[in-house]
Amino acid sequence: MAFATRATAVVGVGYSTIHRETGVDSRPLAVTAAKQAIGDAGLTTADIDGIFEYPGQGTQIAVEMQRMLGIRDLAVFGDNSPSGPSGLAAAQNAVMAVASGACETALVFRSVTREWGQQSGKSEFPPADGPDQFLAPYGDYGAVIPSMGMRKYRRFVDFGGSEEDYGHIAVNARRWSALNDRAVLRTPITMDDYLSSRYIAEPLRLFDCDYPVTGACATVITSTERAADLRRKPVVVDAMAQGTGSRPSWSFADDLVFGGTIDCGNRLWERSSVTPQDVKVAELYDGFTHITISWVEALGLCGIGEFGDWVDGGRTIGPGGRLPLNTNGGQLAEGRLHGLSFLNEAVLQLREECGDRQVAGADVAVVANAHGPQCGAMVLTS
Amino acid sequence: MTDKQAPVPDRYSAFYWENAARGRLAVQACEECGQVQFPPNAVCESCQSQSLTARPVSGRATLYAMTVIRQAFHPAWKDSLPYVIAQVQLDDAPGIRIQTNIVQADPADLKAGDPLEVVYEQRGDVTVPQFRPTQKNGT
Ligand SMILES: [Zn+2]
Repeated sequence: MAFATRATAVVGVGYSTIHRETGVDSRPLAVTAAKQAIGDAGLTTADIDGIFEYPGQGTQIAVEMQRMLGIRDLAVFGDNSPSGPSGLAAAQNAVMAVASGACETALVFRSVTREWGQQSGKSEFPPADGPDQFLAPYGDYGAVIPSMGMRKYRRFVDFGGSEEDYGHIAVNARRWSALNDRAVLRTPITMDDYLSSRYIAEPLRLFDCDYPVTGACATVITSTERAADLRRKPVVVDAMAQGTGSRPSWSFADDLVFGGTIDCGNRLWERSSVTPQDVKVAELYDGFTHITISWVEALGLCGIGEFGDWVDGGRTIGPGGRLPLNTNGGQLAEGRLHGLSFLNEAVLQLREECGDRQVAGADVAVVANAHGPQCGAMVLTS
Repeated sequence: MTDKQAPVPDRYSAFYWENAARGRLAVQACEECGQVQFPPNAVCESCQSQSLTARPVSGRATLYAMTVIRQAFHPAWKDSLPYVIAQVQLDDAPGIRIQTNIVQADPADLKAGDPLEVVYEQRGDVTVPQFRPTQKNGT
């Protein structure tokens, strides 16, 4: 039979060191993370017959990784463009490839440098053509920063709430990162620190933004059948979904506040064997705090517009809370590994390997990446 | 010192900037089904017709969302800090928002729902529509 339909599992995770150095070639970092993930699974590079990565730029492409790992040939491979749901996009491609039988065991990676996507200090700008002709002439620079400022503003208009709602995400990140040796920012911050961090695009503050780092992470995905023979407790991919929202755009979408997160969340639970009430740990993208709040609500972990009450002064999402959130410190504190680290942290939680930050009884995790027109999410079970 | 960037029109958006140069605001509408869309596209996003036309609008709008930019990511905007980027709903083209600056206003006095009217800024050869709070005596 040419095509299969089979369940998939995450069987290995790996990381390079994470740091703030600049001028680093990210390829050796990616190789370090990849070899660690493959070794974690109890596999060798010869077992890898699929490679997927994000975002397919420069030398960070699947077949370059294949060369560096000395893999003779690949059955399937793919470079997910930056228009997808961040690092999770690559993992979702791997899930689809394994589920369909396009490959047996896929390696996924995302390596990133501190300079990647840097917005400050630029002196060269491309002509304001295409979609930019309606943005750049208005001083809309800094990638999605102005649009994130407007999302935060409009959320207050639609649902009320306070800046403290956002601050809880930022403070929570440091509470967890204090328990994560890998994290780059481990000093706790207070709500006052958050509220006195400077405005970048008011009401968007500096502490609403994630922390650029240099580092890589990698993930190995195979069939549940193969996973049963491997070294680690398999973490099953229970469901995955993507979503764009209507008239998808970072600036001109129908739903500015939520982007595609609600459509993606609804689709995810329609496919899942579990419900939002079953989730024990949530790893939700925090490139900006607004994104995390959107996902909490879009995934039905609380009602739409109810985050402020639900978060209960931060107690709900912190260590010992009812729904621990971003237990590695997220990109706000562990550092911006750009999406895939949320999946890896969920896997480590479901394998109960998180030491001081382990969530007791973690058997269902939800992971989500990105916002706007490029949303992706996954439910994992152990 | 770099200048603030002027828009580079294309075949679909040319009407928008040509109208602005004449002190008028117009949006792209479908001649088949009446859909209004922004930014201008190659086809109607509702019926896929390529019969698209420029529909004049009054230039009256309502503030939907705004952000006060406090850090310039382009050097030409440093001297303009703080400045307001906003999305506005055009009163006579429901269902779309356009992005703009709000000028001639203290950012602290602005809020969602405020009535706005279009004004124009000359940027080299190009005219850029911006908005300001509606003036009491009209214009
Ligand atoms: Zn039409």
